[in-house]
Amino acid sequence: MSPAGRLAFVLGVMGVILVAVTALALFVGSAGLSPQAVARALAGRAGAESVESIVTLQLRLPRVVAAVLAGGALAVAGVAFQGLTRNPLAEPAVLGVSSGAAFGVVLAQIFGLELSFLQALGVATFAFAGALMAAAAVYLIAVVPGGLSIQTLLLAGVIVGIFFTSAITVLISVMDYNRLGGVIYWLLGNLAPIPASSLALFAVLALGGCWLILRSARELNLLALGEEAAVQLGVDAVRLKRRVFAAAALLTGSVVAFTGPIGFVGLVVPHMLRGILGQDNRLLVPTALVGGGIFLLAADTLARNIVAPAELSVGVITSFCGAPFFVYLLRTRYRVSL
Amino acid sequence: MIRALGVVLAALTLLIASPAAGLTVRDMLGRDVTLPLPPQRIVSLVPSVSEIIFALGAQDRLVGRTDFCDYPAAVLGKPSVGGMVNPNLETLVTLRPDLVFATDEGNREDTVQQLRRLRIPVYLVHANRIAETVDLIARVGALTGREADVSRVTGDMQRRIEAVRRAVAPFPRRRVLYVLWPDPLIVPGRESMLTELIEVAGGTSITATDGEAYPRFSLETAVARAPEVIILADHSTGASTAGRSAPEKWKRLTSVPAVQAGRLHSADLSILHRYGPRVPEGIETLARFIHPEAFP
Repeated sequence: MSPAGRLAFVLGVMGVILVAVTALALFVGSAGLSPQAVARALAGRAGAESVESIVTLQLRLPRVVAAVLAGGALAVAGVAFQGLTRNPLAEPAVLGVSSGAAFGVVLAQIFGLELSFLQALGVATFAFAGALMAAAAVYLIAVVPGGLSIQTLLLAGVIVGIFFTSAITVLISVMDYNRLGGVIYWLLGNLAPIPASSLALFAVLALGGCWLILRSARELNLLALGEEAAVQLGVDAVRLKRRVFAAAALLTGSVVAFTGPIGFVGLVVPHMLRGILGQDNRLLVPTALVGGGIFLLAADTLARNIVAPAELSVGVITSFCGAPFFVYLLRTRYRVSL
Repeated sequence: MIRALGVVLAALTLLIASPAAGLTVRDMLGRDVTLPLPPQRIVSLVPSVSEIIFALGAQDRLVGRTDFCDYPAAVLGKPSVGGMVNPNLETLVTLRPDLVFATDEGNREDTVQQLRRLRIPVYLVHANRIAETVDLIARVGALTGREADVSRVTGDMQRRIEAVRRAVAPFPRRRVLYVLWPDPLIVPGRESMLTELIEVAGGTSITATDGEAYPRFSLETAVARAPEVIILADHSTGASTAGRSAPEKWKRLTSVPAVQAGRLHSADLSILHRYGPRVPEGIETLARFIHPEAFP
């Protein structure tokens, strides 16, 4: 099958799965609505003030959209960072970029910003600034004359991550006991019904970031051959790296701003897809967008229902699923190449 | 005929009870809230407010609570919507509340905004002083149509508080260290009601001018301020020992006057962290710790 045909086929299959998971997410929940009631609400035949309409359209639906966007953005950021560093372990969290964004958001929370539209813009700006700061720090630490040292890059990521985590700890230490619960809850990574205007902002940021990376996918493929080879093939490596770094920071920052730091999505999803599609970033970016959405939506649906009426944080679920899965990948698929 | 009359009566009741007549009130954070008066289906995300609703006899209107609302025992019979930080919105919505009580200390602003977007009226409460607690009880009474019960509850509270004031008045104030959480050391600060409660009970909190409501504190400074009474709040529940202050650890600090005088107390003082009808009970316990000689 040609690459385009394969992409269409895989995207088609994933689309079907996404629709199925979305339906599941819309129909199950602690409110215990009957399927008929949910269908009525979805068809717009339930009163606007009815419980089924509020639960389905105002609680579950925005949360489904947020989960798909956040999962997709994280998976694409994972693809980008892995392509950029030519290392399968690279991921927003591993590179410290999530911690930078989280620091920005905790700072914004201390200033009292929440998730109404204008404030969401403020929080997202803080998160992006934090992510960019972390990414720039990692880049500057790792940059050596004539290129980017991959080993140093990962180490720099770990160090920058630890630094920003400590910075968050400092903020938490001086914070009043009363506000601690809210901030720690946020740090676990949670999806919540986001207001429509903020959701639109999230979509613009996330899809914009994905588009930037998709545009660089061909050059990222060439970079995989090694930096010198890529330069000989006409790739402006320095500009490519800066662009992809910024776009991945934008993706990470927007996800952290709207949901909190959620780990492992950027690691698990791209690796699963590489197993099916190979190393071509032109195929990986669009499929990671859909695949990440499926993964996070499924995880969030689990988080909402597994201990109902209480809720788990979705970040806990992704880590619980992600860590063993990643160990499995390491022990089987990457045994030789690592 | 009788059945027809019943139907008409039921329809009339529905008409009267319909929330068409909304009333706009200002909550304790100065935000305007439009709600049906009196609200018929209240969800309380604040343990103190749940206590107040019961004390006023308005419990029939309470349809939901949090996992932390545990007093009086009867409140456990109401469905819970989860924790204070992460209530389950779906469960909350299915209770069809026409009023939700929340606080800026313990609930998240996010939750408040989410409920507002669902057009569920949210009344924010905030009480850091005894006077504010009395005000809160009056407000809950007015909102639930139990104005007549307010003076019964608050009058009784004020009488008991006055009695403690009189009992400790002849004695010099003692310096008190209140340990809200042992490790890290968290104490009541400037904005905590505990600071006032200690004052009323005949003491002076050595952390009265520090931080916000509940700052983290340095043990060194606490020792240097030479407390004459140390009170350790015991948060351990059942098998869990997290939050249990080990008195032994404090007994080693032999230079501290409180330790020398043997005024080191550890007790379950969850009532002291609520701003409700049990405030006098908390003050009485504190006063006995600070001035045992006043209560022979």
